[in-house]
Amino acid sequence: MLRFARGFSAMAAFVLALAGPAAAQNADWDKIVEAAKKEGTVSLYTSTLGAPFHRDIIKAFTAKYGITIELLDVRASELDERIRTEQASQRYNCDVVQHGSASLLNTYDRPGLLQSRGEVPNQKNLREGFAEATTDMRMPAYVLPYGILVNTDLVKPADEPKSWKDLTDPKWKGKILSDDFRALGGGSVLFAVTDDKFGTEFHEKLSQQGLIFSREVGTDERRVAAGEYPLRIPQLASNYLRMKGLPVKLIIPEEGASFVRFEFGILKGAPHPNAAKLLIDFYLSPEAQIIYANAGMGPVINGVAEKANPEARAVAGAKLMGTNVPDKLNAQLDKAKQMYK
Amino acid sequence: MPSSKASTSGQALRSELAAPLLPRSRAVGAWRIDGRLGRNLSLGLLVLFLAFLSLYPLAMLFYGSVHSTPPGEPGAFNLSGYRDIISAENLRVLANTIGIAAITSTISMVVAIGLAFIVARTDTPFARQFEVLITLPFFIPPILTAMAWAMLGNAKIGALNQFFKWATGTTVSPIDIYSYWGVVWHLMQYGIPFLFLLIVDAFRAMDPALEEAASVSGASRWRVFRGITLSLLLPVLAGAFVLSFIRGVEAFESALFFGTPAGVKVITTTIFDSITQRAKPEYQLATSLAFAIVGLMFLLVFVQWQILRGRSFQTVTGRGYQPRVMRLGAWRWATFALLCLFFFVTTILPVGQIALGSFFRYIGFYRLDSLTLEHYAATANNAELWRAVRNTLILGLTGATATMALGTIVGYVTIRTRWRYRKVVDGLAWLPWMMPGVVMGVGLLWSYAFLPRQIPIYGTIWALLFAYLALGMPISSRIMSGAFTQLSFDLEECSRVHGATFGQTLTRILVALAWPAFAVGWVLTFFGILRELSASILLYSVGSEVLSVELYKLWTNGQVEEVSVIGLMLVALVILFRWVQIRFLNRQISAI
Repeated sequence: MLRFARGFSAMAAFVLALAGPAAAQNADWDKIVEAAKKEGTVSLYTSTLGAPFHRDIIKAFTAKYGITIELLDVRASELDERIRTEQASQRYNCDVVQHGSASLLNTYDRPGLLQSRGEVPNQKNLREGFAEATTDMRMPAYVLPYGILVNTDLVKPADEPKSWKDLTDPKWKGKILSDDFRALGGGSVLFAVTDDKFGTEFHEKLSQQGLIFSREVGTDERRVAAGEYPLRIPQLASNYLRMKGLPVKLIIPEEGASFVRFEFGILKGAPHPNAAKLLIDFYLSPEAQIIYANAGMGPVINGVAEKANPEARAVAGAKLMGTNVPDKLNAQLDKAKQMYK
Repeated sequence: MPSSKASTSGQALRSELAAPLLPRSRAVGAWRIDGRLGRNLSLGLLVLFLAFLSLYPLAMLFYGSVHSTPPGEPGAFNLSGYRDIISAENLRVLANTIGIAAITSTISMVVAIGLAFIVARTDTPFARQFEVLITLPFFIPPILTAMAWAMLGNAKIGALNQFFKWATGTTVSPIDIYSYWGVVWHLMQYGIPFLFLLIVDAFRAMDPALEEAASVSGASRWRVFRGITLSLLLPVLAGAFVLSFIRGVEAFESALFFGTPAGVKVITTTIFDSITQRAKPEYQLATSLAFAIVGLMFLLVFVQWQILRGRSFQTVTGRGYQPRVMRLGAWRWATFALLCLFFFVTTILPVGQIALGSFFRYIGFYRLDSLTLEHYAATANNAELWRAVRNTLILGLTGATATMALGTIVGYVTIRTRWRYRKVVDGLAWLPWMMPGVVMGVGLLWSYAFLPRQIPIYGTIWALLFAYLALGMPISSRIMSGAFTQLSFDLEECSRVHGATFGQTLTRILVALAWPAFAVGWVLTFFGILRELSASILLYSVGSEVLSVELYKLWTNGQVEEVSVIGLMLVALVILFRWVQIRFLNRQISAI
């Protein structure tokens, strides 16, 4: 009996020893949550201009914690200049910035505009690949996958491109509407990823295909749907989900989707640092990530993609080919300008 | 004094729009200000306020052009920005830009003169109604008309090309909107109504004595029109042309939509690319390029001044007169048909597409099973949108009134006084017009953000209001300067001789006579505020969202049908405002 009691005590002590740090962490996090609630508000600046899912996530966060989110969504270039100017003039209006990973690194992290965030509980659920991309300054939020948009009235299933390399088939010459490879955006990301993966020869062939470059994403998708062009590249999956009923189809090629990863950072001088951490943690929760998944974005945590709506499931769980490397951004833009005159 | 009928018919003394470039009218009757301390102080404050609105942001931009980094970052002063803009590529882009602006302004001016003459000086049926309808395209957001013309004029399946092929049996598409001429065409949709608005009342307000004298002396109608009418209106027309040309040089949306896919580059898209299309924005290059354009525009304005100096252009005097209306007989139905054709092509075709598309699930996909009111419902339920509409209406009503009041003061000081620094006032009012919008917005951001923290402008709705004042001031001061230029000084002298005070003379004589110009300027400024995006997107803050930004957000997310619904609401608002302006306000003030 005594031996059993000693064994039980040892086991209990072992379990308590394990639970100790976790309990301490929970206690620390509880303090952050309390402090965040006292702050009462958090300011989020994002380059995902006008996206409808912002409203849903804001409602869910405010309902859960009683903290309001002041959202400012602008174009990427305006976002960068506003935050740079505010920081330079010491007007610390923004707590959290949400931006493309290349921009967050080059424009915010490297110039020292971000502050250390520390760990947040939900980051333990990050998917493979995204956990590795996380730093103390930057946290993945979601991904925007891109594929090929096809007009189903003009292109038979047998003729649909199955691979990115199929775009060099002469039958598509003069028939591909494309986001501009020479401008920052999905086009330049596709150029960079395919240049890295397939080499210069791929773009030497593709540049002979007479791509029609444009930057008007909203109208260009409709032009394909109307039958002006049979193909468009690269096509944002989240926009495709809003084209229900139109004669179009999104193809994720066999190599996978090119993508842009969006990340969070907390700015130096943030007036509500605790609410900022809580917000980032909330965005990594299943209830927030499912909102992204249903909107056609790729979630960054496990166990969400398979729970997305049926029409979004294929996109949310799409194979990912790659994204652009921040240090090669300008060089690849210049290369695209040279190759596609 | 003009008869009441002349007043009612819109003796709008609009637009001698290059007022700094006019010679001084004779000084008799002009107010002497020198030596009056109170007035000098007021005028000094005016100069300071104008400098805050225009010179301060431009100074920040100039700093950006001669400094390796934007304000607030360590760097060094150098001229590498100005050196780097000198390249064969930029010269080609500049040639493109000037070519597009010149062609657009010239064709637009010819058409606008024809329309203004038909509306103001002939007995064409329903001329007053057409006066409102002709100007509608100017007030429709460019992204909407660009979308509509893309659907109408694309070479593959555009509706106009389809109709041509069906009518002629050919397979050739004569129209391709994605081209150099597509950019010109889209710019003309705004250029023609803009010029028409600026010149129509000048046509209407002329004392016909000189024309009658020429007719009596045996001159043909065409000779009278060319030699007398156009000559007397030269300052108005020249000023309008310069404004239109500058707008053409700084045009952005048309070039982005229809030029970029065709490889047609202009200065503004080059500036935009240097800010948005590099890993690190190249503000020094962008601002240097912008100032190079400002320099060229100043040259143009100076040339215009040289042409017009030493001439008198007063067309509204103390003598009574009736504006001369040409009786066309049966030809009036031909001019009526011309107006109908213009209205059909510029408004019915594009707006019709937008209106039709707003009732279908997707614009351009017209099936019975796609009929829906969901976009109207979504618009009605969009709380952020209506908050932005409320903000914009407040800013528009306040901003337009303040801008026109400021323009009236600037116009009065510049034209009706002999204050030695009046040209400074005029120059300061002109400045923002010269700077491309994509850069001016950045200048306004820098200038408000770097004010002392005790001045609560940045991050508030005041930032937007001051920005709109700065951006609208050139138009308001041009319009009011033009209006005051056409007024003879004997009107003021007569009033003073009969014992009226300065205030009475100002309101019952000058304002009454210039009121149609004020009203048109107010409408132009109000809708300019509604449409303004470049500065708004940089200065709006949480709670001060504006309509243009919300529209752009919807557009970016592919919600083009909801943008169409809002565009139709704006068209209805324009018709209402213009109708009120022409029908009631002009009549009311002429009774003062």
